[in-house]
Amino acid sequence: MSDQRPAGGADTLEPDDEEAARQEDLLLHAASTQPAAGALSAATAAEGGVSEYQASLWGDAWRQLRRKPLFLIAAGLLVLFVAIALAPGVFAQVCNSCAEFANQDPRSPANFADLSRSVETPSAQHWFGFDIQGRDYFTRVLYGTRVSLIIGFLVVGVDVVIALILGCIAGFYGRVFDSIIGRGADIWFALPTTLAGLVFLSVLDNRGLFQVSAVLIFLGWPTLMRLMRSSVLAGKEADYVQAARALGASDWRILRVHILPNGIAPVIVYATISVGIIVSAEAALSFLGVGLQLPSISWGLMIADSQGRLLSSPHLLLFPGAFLSVFVLCFIVLGDQLRDALDPRLR
Amino acid sequence: MGRYVARRLLQAIPVFFGATFIVFAMVYLIPGDPIRALNGERPISESAQAVLRDRYNLDDPLVVQYAKYVGGLVTGDFGETFRGQPVWDIIKEKFPVTAKLALAAFIFEGVLGLLAGILAGLRRGSFMDNLVLVSTTFIVAIPVFVLGFVAQLVLGVQVGWFPIAGIQEGWYSYILPAMVLGSLSLVYIARLTRTSLVENLRSDYIRTAEAKGLPRRRVVGRHALRNSLIPVVTFLGVDLGTLMAGAIITEGIFNIPGVGREVFLAVGSQEYAVVVGIVTAGILIFILMNLVVDLFYAVLDPRIRYE
Amino acid sequence: MRKARTALADIEFGPSQHLLEVRELAVEFNTDYGNVHAVNGINYTLDAGETLAILGESGSGKTVSALAIMGLIDRPGRIAEGQILYKGIDLLTLPTAERRSVRGAEIAMIFQDALSALNPVFSVGDQIAEMFVVHRGMSKKEGMRKALELMDRVRIPSAKERLHDYPHQFSGGMRQRVMIAIGISLDPDILIADEPSTALDVTVQAQIMELLKSLQEETQMGLILITHDLGVVAEVGDKVCVMYAGKIVEKASVSDVYESPAHPYTERLMNSIPRVNQKGGRLDPIKGSPPSLMNIPHGCPFHPRCPRARIPDPCRSEVPPLREVVTNRLSACHFAEELLAEEGVEVFAT
Repeated sequence: MSDQRPAGGADTLEPDDEEAARQEDLLLHAASTQPAAGALSAATAAEGGVSEYQASLWGDAWRQLRRKPLFLIAAGLLVLFVAIALAPGVFAQVCNSCAEFANQDPRSPANFADLSRSVETPSAQHWFGFDIQGRDYFTRVLYGTRVSLIIGFLVVGVDVVIALILGCIAGFYGRVFDSIIGRGADIWFALPTTLAGLVFLSVLDNRGLFQVSAVLIFLGWPTLMRLMRSSVLAGKEADYVQAARALGASDWRILRVHILPNGIAPVIVYATISVGIIVSAEAALSFLGVGLQLPSISWGLMIADSQGRLLSSPHLLLFPGAFLSVFVLCFIVLGDQLRDALDPRLR
Repeated sequence: MGRYVARRLLQAIPVFFGATFIVFAMVYLIPGDPIRALNGERPISESAQAVLRDRYNLDDPLVVQYAKYVGGLVTGDFGETFRGQPVWDIIKEKFPVTAKLALAAFIFEGVLGLLAGILAGLRRGSFMDNLVLVSTTFIVAIPVFVLGFVAQLVLGVQVGWFPIAGIQEGWYSYILPAMVLGSLSLVYIARLTRTSLVENLRSDYIRTAEAKGLPRRRVVGRHALRNSLIPVVTFLGVDLGTLMAGAIITEGIFNIPGVGREVFLAVGSQEYAVVVGIVTAGILIFILMNLVVDLFYAVLDPRIRYE
Repeated sequence: MRKARTALADIEFGPSQHLLEVRELAVEFNTDYGNVHAVNGINYTLDAGETLAILGESGSGKTVSALAIMGLIDRPGRIAEGQILYKGIDLLTLPTAERRSVRGAEIAMIFQDALSALNPVFSVGDQIAEMFVVHRGMSKKEGMRKALELMDRVRIPSAKERLHDYPHQFSGGMRQRVMIAIGISLDPDILIADEPSTALDVTVQAQIMELLKSLQEETQMGLILITHDLGVVAEVGDKVCVMYAGKIVEKASVSDVYESPAHPYTERLMNSIPRVNQKGGRLDPIKGSPPSLMNIPHGCPFHPRCPRARIPDPCRSEVPPLREVVTNRLSACHFAEELLAEEGVEVFAT
């Protein structure tokens, strides 16, 4: 249960609002990898002078990100992963003999097996070797990217939408709504992640992408919802919101135009990091035997299969493990960079 | 302060029932007939089945089963396995192992995490700081089970420092699994401490403390740390609760006979009384730790005390 | 074990020496965005029992100069030039440990917004007592007793009951009194007050300023008041330095400056305050904004906003020196005499 936790576990049951905002903020801040470039320690420095361009949070953030090599590398990796997921066969061609072997069954290259080549170690012809069934491992690992990306984006995407809606309602309208939604979040949050995932998934006979995603969605929404709620609460008190209200702006307009554009920043940052966490969680569940089922191809399943032969064939663990780690790392770095770029305090 | 305590307590109750009910309901939906599974291929007479079903309340509607279960909980009765073993006994037997593992992981992550975080926070931008940040990023990225296997391979087999599976007397065999278990939280603690410290060092009251002519040691050690550690201590408390509730994956990798592994096995063999029992105990511990942390938080931060 | 007061405390200095003398102080910050010239060569003096007001807008460098005196300038800031003479000794040449012992004990500083300036997790009594525990080696108990005395002295009601209360439990004015108590606790020779009343209501402001004034009269300490509030300066100040873009542009007694400002900036400041006896009309602010301290204009830093500026000569080409135009009145304007003449003040013959 403690093996795979959503970041944000520092929240106690029903934290004081201001403290919740501070705590969550601190945790997000804790994800920051880059020391801020040159702290301007004197008030004098930042004041005075007229800015030449329209400053906006996202515009500024983009400008800053564009110049950071770490961000560019991570973004490049992301693009690469997406490309691999879209056309794994194309990338498999990079290793000619791998592709030749796998394409003996063009409809399902990743599943073409030759038992006589079971657990062959990596070689010049077959970069990642073979798995237990005798399938080319390079091809399989590449194909596994698809599932990971889909689950990652699907789960996080839906969670963000849920968090947006519920967080806005809870934060903006408060009181009864807040209590109900808050309690709901607490309940789901009290369920230990891995364990609950284990239990819920063992209930299901057929564990395809949607089933696994659904369980992960249910386990992940409370943290994002809380973040959104904190943002909305903080934004609600702002003077410019009061002013807008006095001018007759509708609730929807206030949310859409005044609160959300800035308030959604911490949610986006955490969502980015979440993609990595969710994919990791899926792998963990597969490892436990309750994740995706065959014939799905997932890094988690591959790692789970490698268990029995750790000593004799470590390549079975290492390649999907490495891909998984790099994948997660990529999203964590992206999230970190986003966080630094969006933090007004680091200006 | 009393109101604060009372409020937290009241809020904890529906959460407990809600969470446990969800788990109970989920388990209730596990397909297959546990009675039949219990007896394998031997046929069982209808009347015998009926007796068993009645004994385990299998024919009652969900809500009633849940109510009876909670009623039993109050008296410490976590139900029985289908072979007649009280679940409570199982918990009692396996829990100390998990607790030991949890404690070891907690000490590991706490001490190392705090140290790393403080060093990094005090020397922001330095080599130490960057080292901490980079290494923690990598640790976080590698999934726990991969980390566990790699640790087994490298530290257990190749270098031979630690046993790779099972538990022996004493603490030595707990070290490797504890390190793996605590790795993720270690990262959070280090980062959280660092960030908190950096932020607090920037605040106005630190400037005042310096203006008072206090030595640096005191400014940092007393003023800054006291404030910075508040969120960290909170996190530590909650994490201990989570650790105590069991760690399935780590126990699985290292073959440790704790409650985590027990649950895993129980799911496989459809002993749902065990599953529900252990999960319920876990939720209970988690909620309790949260409460303790909330109270402790009020002690640490006087601003909270008077609301 | 009681610690002795620092060696500096017992220095006797002659009548010709000032308690504090700042000479040609320059402070800059080397940031990634550029070099910020926060303070550009300022001079002022302070004597015992005197109140010096440093007047200026945000970004004029007034707070930084005070932080320099206290030795609180940290990376990326550094003191580029100058001397800070306290009782004749240049503080900038003191070793760190001695500098620290002077800080708080002989030269103290208090800040605005006491809520964030006080540590939220320690009681106010503790934070006052800390001065005695650290500087005088007293025990915590003795320190608390002293703290109680001080809280009475700054007129905090029911001090005994409130000794163990936390900052957030006090009102703004009371918190500021706690700050003041900390500041005067060791009977410093100089107290620097950075915008002490800015964060407070007007009525509370008046009480706080009155408290400061009476404390000063009691102890004859030098008071440096940093503010942007013209009203406060008028009430409490003896002499004033007007700062703009890191430089002092006018220096004189408060009454002189208020009656007849000798610098266009000061003049415009005076004009911008709405007065009780003014009828209707629009407010008259100074057009434009203060310059970025990374990009101070050539020549006179005020020239882009000055209604009297003659461009390019001499206002953009020559930096006007701070010079005495009337007895004990200095101004850094090429046309100070003209301005004063318009106001009917007799200037030195040029």
